[in-house]
Amino acid sequence: MESKILEMFVPMTLEGIKTTLGVFLVTLMVSLPLSIAVARLRMSKNKVVSLIIGIYIYIMRGTPLLLQLMFIFFGFYYVPYIGYAFSRTQAIFIAFILNYTAYFAEIFRGGINSIDRGQYEAAEVLGLGRAHTFLKIILPQVLKNVLPSMGNEVITLVKDTSLVYILGAGDILKAAKSVSNKYSAFSPYIYVGLVYLAITAVLTKLLAKIENKYDYYS
Amino acid sequence: MVLEINNLYKKFGGETVLDGISFSANKGEIVCIRGKSGEGKTTLLRCINNLEVPDNGSIKINNLYLFRDDDGIVKRATKAELKIIRQEIGLVFQGFNLFPHMTVMENLIKAPKFIKIMPEEKINKRALELLKQLELENKCNCYPFQLSGGQKQRVAIARACMLNPSVLCFDEPTSALDENTGNQIFKIIRDLSNQGITIIIVSHDNGFIDKIAQKVITLSDGKIISEQQ
Repeated sequence: MESKILEMFVPMTLEGIKTTLGVFLVTLMVSLPLSIAVARLRMSKNKVVSLIIGIYIYIMRGTPLLLQLMFIFFGFYYVPYIGYAFSRTQAIFIAFILNYTAYFAEIFRGGINSIDRGQYEAAEVLGLGRAHTFLKIILPQVLKNVLPSMGNEVITLVKDTSLVYILGAGDILKAAKSVSNKYSAFSPYIYVGLVYLAITAVLTKLLAKIENKYDYYS
Repeated sequence: MVLEINNLYKKFGGETVLDGISFSANKGEIVCIRGKSGEGKTTLLRCINNLEVPDNGSIKINNLYLFRDDDGIVKRATKAELKIIRQEIGLVFQGFNLFPHMTVMENLIKAPKFIKIMPEEKINKRALELLKQLELENKCNCYPFQLSGGQKQRVAIARACMLNPSVLCFDEPTSALDENTGNQIFKIIRDLSNQGITIIIVSHDNGFIDKIAQKVITLSDGKIISEQQ
């Protein structure tokens, strides 16, 4: 029985892992740079800009990602004037990117705020431009400060990818569910748990390496 | 005159911090500004370095106006003028403000490379010369956290000197240093003055001021209450 379960589980999981890792990687690659820009806008002296970004972050953090996925896929079509029927893949990427950008932006905002004003002043006195100051003086220090919090979010993102089942996408959790339903067995859920743990273990190792890389100065 | 300050006013909220400050400094002169905490010394230094905008008055560095009083309205230098003025003036912060993620060498060459004041090879050569002059040649590849307070201070001085400023400002240069290191800094500042760099020092260390100053300005309640040669 168990061998039959594995026989069905392994190929389905290998197929599902493409979705899981695809959502994970695209979200990370788009959200990270975008969140730095959003954090800067949130800190803008222009109150209107700051307020709009504040509302966006509030909505993203104040509602479940599951609901956001459902709204973008099922509900956005009915929004007056701007309504549009997104494909399943589009809806997944949009929801994940919007949600994670908001969380990452708040982490970056905290990181940027933690940098001593003297660093900006030293850069100004030396005649470094504003963009150069941010990219070369402030951002490297911010990255070091935010890495632990960012690491938590990255691990959470791996687990959140399982939410795509609500839109019918086939990730590794859906694979486990299908096998479990067919054989009326619970073991596929244990196997999928082990797959998540394996992905998380690799990421934890990778994040620790990145943290070490940035730990060259006290 | 290398530095001319005329009738400078600055308020924070309702409180007047600088109240009609005027003084000047010649080439190579060491001017010390003393006063108790909160008397406006650091604000004055910050205005000279364009980190604060005065409410009124003018600041002229090497015949270029950083701020100009135009019928009661303060006009700031244009971007092009500011680029030139920035190279004419340097500041050594009380807390040094070295870039912690960069080595000593990187701290020194960052600004000149960005501004492109000279070819890259010359920038590196100049940095090594300065580090040698300040006895830091073996600290090139160290990060700021690996340095003592006195060494950080010297790196901050070297970094400010990389742009060949005409005026170099020091905010409380001896506040975090022991007596021996304070004496080292004293010699360095003297050397810089002998090289023709005008030195502006803000300090409440009277012993240090008495030893080094060629002109002493005393501030109280944002006003100059005495100016002694």
